[in-house]
Amino acid sequence: MTSDENVNSTNEEETSEVEVVDSLEDTIWPLINRVLSSVDVTPERGSIDLITRIPRTDIIRALQILKNNEEVQFNYLRCLTAVDNESEGVDVVYHLYSIPKNINLTVKTNLPVEDKAIGTATEVWEAANWLERETAEMFGIKFNNHPDPRTLLMPEDMTDTFPLLKSHPFAEIEILQGELLGYDRETQGDDE
Amino acid sequence: MVVESTPGFETQDLLINVGPQHPSTHGVFRMVLEVDGEIVKDLVPHIGYLHRGAEKLCENNDFRQGVGYMDRTEYLASHNAELSYVMAVEALAELEVPERAQWIRMILCELNRLSSHFMFLGAFGVDVGVFGTPFIYAWREREAIIDLFEEISGDRMMYAYFRAGGLAWEVPGNFEERVREVLVSTRQGMKDFDNLLTRNEIFLARTKNVGIISAEDAVELGMSGPTLRASGVSLDIRKAEPYMYYDQIDFDVPVGTNGDVFDRYLVRLKEMEQSVHIIEQCLARLDDGPIMPERMPRMLRLPEDQEIYVRTEAPRGEYGIYLVSKGGNKPWRLKVRSACLSNLQALKKMSVGQYVADAIIILGSIDIVLSEVDR
Repeated sequence: MTSDENVNSTNEEETSEVEVVDSLEDTIWPLINRVLSSVDVTPERGSIDLITRIPRTDIIRALQILKNNEEVQFNYLRCLTAVDNESEGVDVVYHLYSIPKNINLTVKTNLPVEDKAIGTATEVWEAANWLERETAEMFGIKFNNHPDPRTLLMPEDMTDTFPLLKSHPFAEIEILQGELLGYDRETQGDDE
Repeated sequence: MVVESTPGFETQDLLINVGPQHPSTHGVFRMVLEVDGEIVKDLVPHIGYLHRGAEKLCENNDFRQGVGYMDRTEYLASHNAELSYVMAVEALAELEVPERAQWIRMILCELNRLSSHFMFLGAFGVDVGVFGTPFIYAWREREAIIDLFEEISGDRMMYAYFRAGGLAWEVPGNFEERVREVLVSTRQGMKDFDNLLTRNEIFLARTKNVGIISAEDAVELGMSGPTLRASGVSLDIRKAEPYMYYDQIDFDVPVGTNGDVFDRYLVRLKEMEQSVHIIEQCLARLDDGPIMPERMPRMLRLPEDQEIYVRTEAPRGEYGIYLVSKGGNKPWRLKVRSACLSNLQALKKMSVGQYVADAIIILGSIDIVLSEVDR
């Protein structure tokens, strides 16, 4: 684990601004900032990897640049997932790695609750295919132009309930599925 | 004599369903093959039969309980799966793991790699058609390692032995002696496999130039572990981004050249020799000392708004944990990055254009664990 990428961040809003920018100089942030000069990109923090935020309108273009730019060459998509922040919407998170340069970057983009749609990263890496299918069914995110928008782990007909959202109940998943499959709670009784 | 095709005679492609209950799919995996005679024209994988919602479960349990769920995601290499998870919690909680605990962890993880690869060798032998012998050989060697794990953790699988901060309890007094014993039998087992398979003509005929995937495609598809290295990409997280004490250890990363089924077999066999080499060095460095930090909080609470993506080199590839904390004693979000899921994406590319019989050994060569794919 590279400790020199370690950034000490505090929870205090006012002081953290200055501190983060100072310590970001030790990370790959200057490089990323230069490569992505045409995109609105904000650094967040790096506990071991640098985290950047990119608005969703630019995200696919930015990922294309990150993959194809000679200086960074993020040719490997480690992981793609989402985090539900309840009222603050859903964050889609991309973990990128550059095999030739041995550097990591985490890219985040925020989707508002009412419109969870984003472009598909399968245009950039084929690896995103199944990862996006899983993220879509778990969080109800629509990946526009996805080549294969079926469910991956969930049943084929389970397209209206999204298990990993915080609003989804933890222990009632069977009942929700049962209703979908025609299970009638009224006639079956409540003996369980 | 040249047979002329009959005018008006049409052939139809045949759909074959394999799985989910099928001995050669290594678990509940289903694939629908479209075949033209003996040749696979299309392959549609179906997964999710073993989905248990491990991520949601972890979000609703506290940090200590998560270790048990990690075991169950990767039941053939539980120590490696636990390692990513405890490393993520330790990094956010800023726990300093004592040296002795780290060395023991390294030994156990490498032993687990050995036992997992033995499992692969045995099952793969059966897939290829060398029925019986390799499977029994592999089981014999794997048994020795699992016996050792049982002595340490009390379980043959799902060890739940790693804790955030260190280890659950001290290893038995004869630990070093027992590891050395296991290494002797492991060495012999590897030699047996080498003699049995590596130069076996039937084995070579079945595996050479089958299911080739190029280095570019492998990287593009996000493959990792021995399956990626067989294509010639030398990416091993232990070397690229050393964690624990791998930077103080001398070992090589075996790399294949063709990216075919045989290379995936050979890379694993060579990797096992390196694991033995690593364990020997770890044993030499093992010293007395504590196995948990001195100042261990009674209740683990992580700071607010922190996140980390920890990746380690598990036997099947990159096992990653993405942990988001919003304070409290539960993870806000826990994502398990499964190596098998990404490797399995490449199955279609490897199998199209190959024989039906080879589709089975191609699947076997990826070495999937369905509980890790589905989580």
